[in-house]
Amino acid sequence: MSGGFNEIHPEPTTFISKYIISFDHKVIAKQFLWYGILFLGIGGIMALLIRWTLAYPGVPFPILGPLLFPDSAGVVPPDTYAMLFTMHGTIMIFYAITPILIGAFGNYCIPLMIGARDMAFPMLNMLSFWFAAASALVVLISLCTPLGSAAGGWTSYPTLSTMIGSPGSGQTLWCLAIFLLGISSTMGAVNYVTTVITLRAPGMGYFDMPLTVWGLWLTAILNAIFVPVLGAGVMLLMMDRVMGTTFFLAGASATAGTGDPVLFQHVFWIFGHPEVYILILPAWGIVSDLLSFFSRKPAFGAKATALSMTAVSILSTLVYGHHMFTTQMSPLLTQSFMTLTMTISIPSAIFFANWLGTIWKGSIRFDSPMLFSLGVVFVFGLGGLTGLHLGTVTTDLYLHDTYFVVGHFHYTMAASVLLGGYAGIYFWFPKMFGRMMNETLAKIHFWGTMIPLNGIFFGMLMVGYGGMHRRIYNPFVYESLQRLIPINMMITWSAILMGAFQIIFVWNFLMSLKKGPKASNNPWEVGTLEWTIPSPPVHHNYDVIPVVKCGPHEFGNPNLKNGRDFQYQTEELVRG
Amino acid sequence: MKRLDLQSNLAMTVTITGFSMFFATLMMGYAIYRSSSTFWPPMGFSKVSLTIPSISTFLILLSSWFCYQIKGNVKAHDFKKARLNLNLTLVLGFSFMVAQSFFWSELKASGLYVDSGIFASILYAYTWIHAAHVLAGILSLVYLSIMLKPSDDRMLIKAVNVEKFWHFLGAVWLMMFLTLFVY
Ligand code: HEM
Ligand SMILES: [Cu+2]
Repeated sequence: MSGGFNEIHPEPTTFISKYIISFDHKVIAKQFLWYGILFLGIGGIMALLIRWTLAYPGVPFPILGPLLFPDSAGVVPPDTYAMLFTMHGTIMIFYAITPILIGAFGNYCIPLMIGARDMAFPMLNMLSFWFAAASALVVLISLCTPLGSAAGGWTSYPTLSTMIGSPGSGQTLWCLAIFLLGISSTMGAVNYVTTVITLRAPGMGYFDMPLTVWGLWLTAILNAIFVPVLGAGVMLLMMDRVMGTTFFLAGASATAGTGDPVLFQHVFWIFGHPEVYILILPAWGIVSDLLSFFSRKPAFGAKATALSMTAVSILSTLVYGHHMFTTQMSPLLTQSFMTLTMTISIPSAIFFANWLGTIWKGSIRFDSPMLFSLGVVFVFGLGGLTGLHLGTVTTDLYLHDTYFVVGHFHYTMAASVLLGGYAGIYFWFPKMFGRMMNETLAKIHFWGTMIPLNGIFFGMLMVGYGGMHRRIYNPFVYESLQRLIPINMMITWSAILMGAFQIIFVWNFLMSLKKGPKASNNPWEVGTLEWTIPSPPVHHNYDVIPVVKCGPHEFGNPNLKNGRDFQYQTEELVRG
Repeated sequence: MKRLDLQSNLAMTVTITGFSMFFATLMMGYAIYRSSSTFWPPMGFSKVSLTIPSISTFLILLSSWFCYQIKGNVKAHDFKKARLNLNLTLVLGFSFMVAQSFFWSELKASGLYVDSGIFASILYAYTWIHAAHVLAGILSLVYLSIMLKPSDDRMLIKAVNVEKFWHFLGAVWLMMFLTLFVY
């Protein structure tokens, strides 16, 4: 039912109700955006610390090193190294990408793109942000505990993550933080699912929704179903650590009857595999829309794209076992999981082909959002292809836990989502803040990100294929790996270069916020609903709830006579 | 008004889906522990007495029955009866918590502590986690009791949603009772 009208909370009057405890989805989106960008910086510096150690083991980290590690003269100590890759992964996934893609774009785009005045439950939305903020606080505190934060990997497998593997409160606080964040994500998911179902503008069927909304909606559904699974896992892990239960302890550490460390792996990946799709689906949606917007062509097979994204979401619930081929599963199971994993290629290939079909013979405008979207097509393609090697049991037995895996998941989830996130930021910045970003700096930022990024992650694929394991402090104690030192140095310098180019982004973002030229209502000449209203939108978004009459990608219609090459969704489709 | 009710209804459905996955994960864990051990209870342990858990089961199921009545009363604008049924649900829910605490003391008295291995881990942790949710359920009943007034035209959906959540807690307990204690 698309009622279209929703009551709006009154316009806030005080600073606190306007910017802090805000009920307004646009403000909450910006809160999540700042939150995510802040953690992207922290996670990025951690990545550099890891990379430095791998290229120059035993050499002090320049500038920051002596400040952070005075006891070891600036060299990253081994135990800190474990903490760094753990917290880098955790922060990037849960505190950088999730808030930017789901928190910021979800909140900003869903109501605006479906023609609603706010989310279905504005108060729940506010709570969702503050739970996320509380969770972030716990993570930051955990970094300051005497034995440091969690160091058992972002996957937190027992026994690394039990009291035996990780004494100290860091890992316990990690569990608590993830649990709080899970509550926040579930609250958000309840809101997004309900909003999309009930608040679409009159006339907007599901297939009239922009694909961005499709991606965010599917993400919310997966979140509501699978985040509680991780919640249960970390809850039991926390009890093992605090209360003395033995769910994940086996052998001598469990006094009577025995727990099962591998059970945690199952629980983690039942959540974890959908989680990687939770991260990528919003980016897929954004890219599917932007490719059409900047090719000035209707999205090729938009319905098929939406349906294949749905198919991927469903299949993603059935394949988690491919993360556990080396845990002595029965071959019957490994082969079933392998087959299911391979079937995901079919819907993925469909929407990937649709992307190419969309840009094929388009009048492409190479604005920064488009550059980043094309970047996603490239890196996601590479990431997807390398997934086949890891989904195949026979090759995975060799590649498991090598840098090949690290390269693969960075291509699919880190690089694609990062570039997709940048595409979204450059695209919606004018709507969010009412000003344009500097296009030249944006293009420099794109190339300065894209080229080193491939140096980093392709390099990772190479050293992984060469046999270098992940999560090792100094791989070069193994003589056979010493020949990989030059490639590792290339990766590290690429990372430093890429990091440096992010400064341009931050500069551009901050300067445009203050001094950017004023944005018109529709700087990109796009027909979706949010571009029919002023930039930035007023408090209640739409004075009159729009009535939707056509799809989101009506470009290049030869019957259009008004000098535009696109139609607004509020306009009747022009026919010959 | 219809659309607002639909929203609340959907939101509660999604929420319960999430909670179901949470408890399903716990039960999956139990199924794996149990099916992978040669003896259950593990060597050196014996089954716990069914008396108190049976009383708990009786209390929470009965409370669900009274809770079930509330929305009919609201529909019929019989707010006196609605309040009576709500209070009975609350009292029974509270007694369930009391019964659970007796159960925990009984476990302790029999020498079974939280850290006595996987058998005890499951008995304690699962009942604790469930009880924490029952507390949340009781809070939502209290909320309903505060909100209960004839002038509120969204009374019915509130009653329906709180009822759904309460039945859900009863269902989870019933499943735990049958699998953890009886079987
Ligand atoms: C763009 C710059 C980035 C660089 C240079 C980088 C580098 C690294 C390195 C060196 C590791 C350690 C691998 C190991 O030793 O096992 C790592 C792990 C990881 N990274 Fe990144 N990363 C970057 C961005 C991201 C982003 C954006 C994400 C989030 C989606 C991400 C997610 C992860 C995860 C999940 C791990 C695994 C942590 C673990 O082993 O527990 N990374 N990264
Ligand atoms: Cu997976």
